[in-house]
Amino acid sequence: MAQVTAVAEARPSSHRIRRARNRVPVWHVIWLVIAALVFLVPIYSVVQFSLAGVGPGQSPFHWYLTVFDDPMFRSSFWLSIQISLETVAVSLVLMVPTVFWVHLRLPGLRPVMDLISILPFVVPPIVLVVGLLPFLKNITWLFVRPEVLSLIYVVFALPFLYRALDAGLRAIDLRTLVEAAESLGAKMPRTLLQVILPNLRAAIIGGSLLTVAIAMGEYTVASLLEFSTFPVYTYTIGTSTAYEGVALSFISFIFVWAAMLALYLLGRGGRSAAAVAITNYN
Amino acid sequence: MATVELRGLCRTFGSVVALDHLDLEVHSGEFVSLLGPSGCGKTTALRIIAGFEWPDSGEVLVEGQDVLGQAANKRNMGMVFQAYSLFPNLTAQQNVEFGLRVRKESREKRARRARELLELVGLASAMDRYPRQLSGGQQQRVALARSLAIEPRVLLLDEPLSALDAKVRVQLRAEVRRIQLELGITTLYVTHDQEEALSISDRVAVMSQGRIEQLGTPAQIYRSPRTAFVANFVGTMNKLEGTVVSLEDRVVRCGPLLLQVPDPTFNHPAGEKVELFLRPEDISIGLLSNGDKPAPGLFEGRVTSLTFLGPVTRVGLETEIGPLMADVSSAVALGLTADTVVAVKLDSTSLRSIAR
Amino acid sequence: MALAESGMQPVGLAGRAPRKRSRSRRWALLGVLPFFAYISIFLLIPTGELIAGAFRTANGAFTLSNISDIFRAPYPQAFEFSLELSALSALMGGVLGFLVANAVLHHGVPRFIRPAFVSFSGMAANFAGVPLGFAYIATLGTLGVVTTLLQHLGLDIYPSFSLQGLFGCALVYMYFQLPLMILLMIPVIEGLRKEWRESASNLGASSLEFWRYIGLPVVTPSLLGLMVLLFGNAFSAYATAETLGVSNLVTIDIANLINGDITLDPQDAYALTLAMIVIIVITIIVYALLQRRASRWLR
Repeated sequence: MAQVTAVAEARPSSHRIRRARNRVPVWHVIWLVIAALVFLVPIYSVVQFSLAGVGPGQSPFHWYLTVFDDPMFRSSFWLSIQISLETVAVSLVLMVPTVFWVHLRLPGLRPVMDLISILPFVVPPIVLVVGLLPFLKNITWLFVRPEVLSLIYVVFALPFLYRALDAGLRAIDLRTLVEAAESLGAKMPRTLLQVILPNLRAAIIGGSLLTVAIAMGEYTVASLLEFSTFPVYTYTIGTSTAYEGVALSFISFIFVWAAMLALYLLGRGGRSAAAVAITNYN
Repeated sequence: MATVELRGLCRTFGSVVALDHLDLEVHSGEFVSLLGPSGCGKTTALRIIAGFEWPDSGEVLVEGQDVLGQAANKRNMGMVFQAYSLFPNLTAQQNVEFGLRVRKESREKRARRARELLELVGLASAMDRYPRQLSGGQQQRVALARSLAIEPRVLLLDEPLSALDAKVRVQLRAEVRRIQLELGITTLYVTHDQEEALSISDRVAVMSQGRIEQLGTPAQIYRSPRTAFVANFVGTMNKLEGTVVSLEDRVVRCGPLLLQVPDPTFNHPAGEKVELFLRPEDISIGLLSNGDKPAPGLFEGRVTSLTFLGPVTRVGLETEIGPLMADVSSAVALGLTADTVVAVKLDSTSLRSIAR
Repeated sequence: MALAESGMQPVGLAGRAPRKRSRSRRWALLGVLPFFAYISIFLLIPTGELIAGAFRTANGAFTLSNISDIFRAPYPQAFEFSLELSALSALMGGVLGFLVANAVLHHGVPRFIRPAFVSFSGMAANFAGVPLGFAYIATLGTLGVVTTLLQHLGLDIYPSFSLQGLFGCALVYMYFQLPLMILLMIPVIEGLRKEWRESASNLGASSLEFWRYIGLPVVTPSLLGLMVLLFGNAFSAYATAETLGVSNLVTIDIANLINGDITLDPQDAYALTLAMIVIIVITIIVYALLQRRASRWLR
């Protein structure tokens, strides 16, 4: 008798075990679903909308084709790319030696650097452009060149590039590397180029990608200084023809997706820094 | 008070077998230690009893009732973790009161009980301090008081002293035992420190790879290890390799020596290779004057190392039956240096073998 | 400030060492000169200019009239709307972000959920600005996909709903506020030690009771701090709202004062930006204070 009851009891118990272990509270599922909807519904709508509103006999990709045919599309996209690359170049030339130098020779300046890296948050794009405008209007030769945007974007990218480089430098034993190089006879510029930079590759690439993302998506300053960058073009086209604006929106999304994928493939903690990146500049 | 029974517990994490048909019975008011190296499954077993893990199969019975269907917060057990378990935003008193607060006890009752328990662990003066203001040892005392406040039927401790200094550890383990005896609460104690387990437990379960290698009193575990693992894990053991000469007389030849195994259950047939175990304290040394040969029944050994351990010195010896370690009173060891030749005597009544 | 180690002090020349050290430090400071020069030109000087400009007339004379202009219509309403919008989107993003972060970290949840949410949050946060505005026009605009869907179900959200209204715009802002909150909240919740939850459970507390007595008290400073951060984030935003066609936002008013679309009044623009800076600085101070409080328990 005892044996039979023992067997009979064993089965319900293991059922209970399995159920207990996999229990996820309902609420958690609800929040996850809501968040998923918030993220995905707009994207779905973008795709749906950009394929809609086409007349009979037209390709469902009509709006995309219209946009691709527009020479302004290419020129504005190209302009944004150029500006982005210039921003990256100036940023790196400015920031890499500086952060390196501070880490190596002026560790006392670190709090100052940390503070400065927060300043662009206190001075958002709209505020900065107000302060810069009168100043720039007088320097007409610079004012009309798109390079001025690159110079301004360097300031916006500053916090993120600084944080990436700072983290990267903290992860390597800078002092030891430099002293080792010096003992082998290398002078400072060579040390920087051939010893430090290779070790900072991930931080530099990550920071650069964030900079490109910021520069490619920046609208405020570009529109107020009246340059036809890609976001400005998107705005102009979109406010007259919503369908094209939405199509351009999708193209932006793909671009951001590709940049984030590249960042992800790099692996380092660029992910959360990336999130903080653009939000402040829009 | 409660009995705890584990029947056939199995748990696998991916490809690692954490528990392999674990069976254990803990009697009411008993203090049982689960002793073993990391990864042996002892913490997994404890967490299953507490309700933070579930087994793949098996049963956990407390007072005869299956508890696996109950959520962790309904099992009425007290648990003390290794570290960091005190709530940082509550004072010591509030921490101890927590379980009672959840049970909606009145403020007076809570305060009274908290004071009672903090006095029991000797920390009544620290009632209003926050965990960050307490030392590691004090935090664990508060954690103990907190777990006892709800009058649990079972007390579970997961390496509670591992994160503390050696001296504090020795002090606290005695207190844990004292409190446990005073309250008579059934207790399961997980540790990897064999000295700890042996000094405070009623019984010790030595575990390895998800299985109990041996369950017994501390004396039994120490003096009569039943497997090679237990012999090696608990205390230091000398291992002698030999071949059985006669099963009937239980005689084994180790090198040139013939040794008799005292255990009547010795069951290795003649000709088989066996391992015999002997504790360092069961080997004694005698000084030899130059040129003398050891008396009959003793044999020669050469000192290879001397390790001062305080009251005792561990002497490493090279002998004709292999390398040995002998624990000798430090006073006697004073006269020894490396390469000294000594006479070695084995207490053969302490020779152990592992059953087939 | 700590003195730089140049590593070239000759031993035993104590008399000469201090001078050499400060000289080498001066040379070292030269190394960061380009950076500080750049920051001065492109960040500090413009900031100083606009703070000063808030108190100057078009001719350069000192005046407080720009400041007093802020208090005349339509600016107070713009501030009111900006502050409300920022607060609402910070609250919405903050609360939902907290709940989602907690859900993502739950032990019973499938393994892929966390990396999926973290990477998508990274993407969503970068989608802000002009593209986001059009995305929501495509979603909840008058001809939007969701609007149309709701109409088919018998629910017409217009005209009471508007993407340029408080709730509509806050909803759009959620797209970058929510992921930001999720990403920043995850490490905070992970800072809640497993031992606390298990101890609480062991002592008989339900999950809600854990949060009520331990979880929330410990996490609240961080939670509030991050919401304040979201507030500042929303307050500074411009492009998204501009694309949606919002009209009474401080940032948009400032832009209009500069580009002369409605009126050209740089002096008032200075005053408004000064007000913005003040509000943002307050925001950052509050954030820093809350972070300091938060680190008390989470380390």
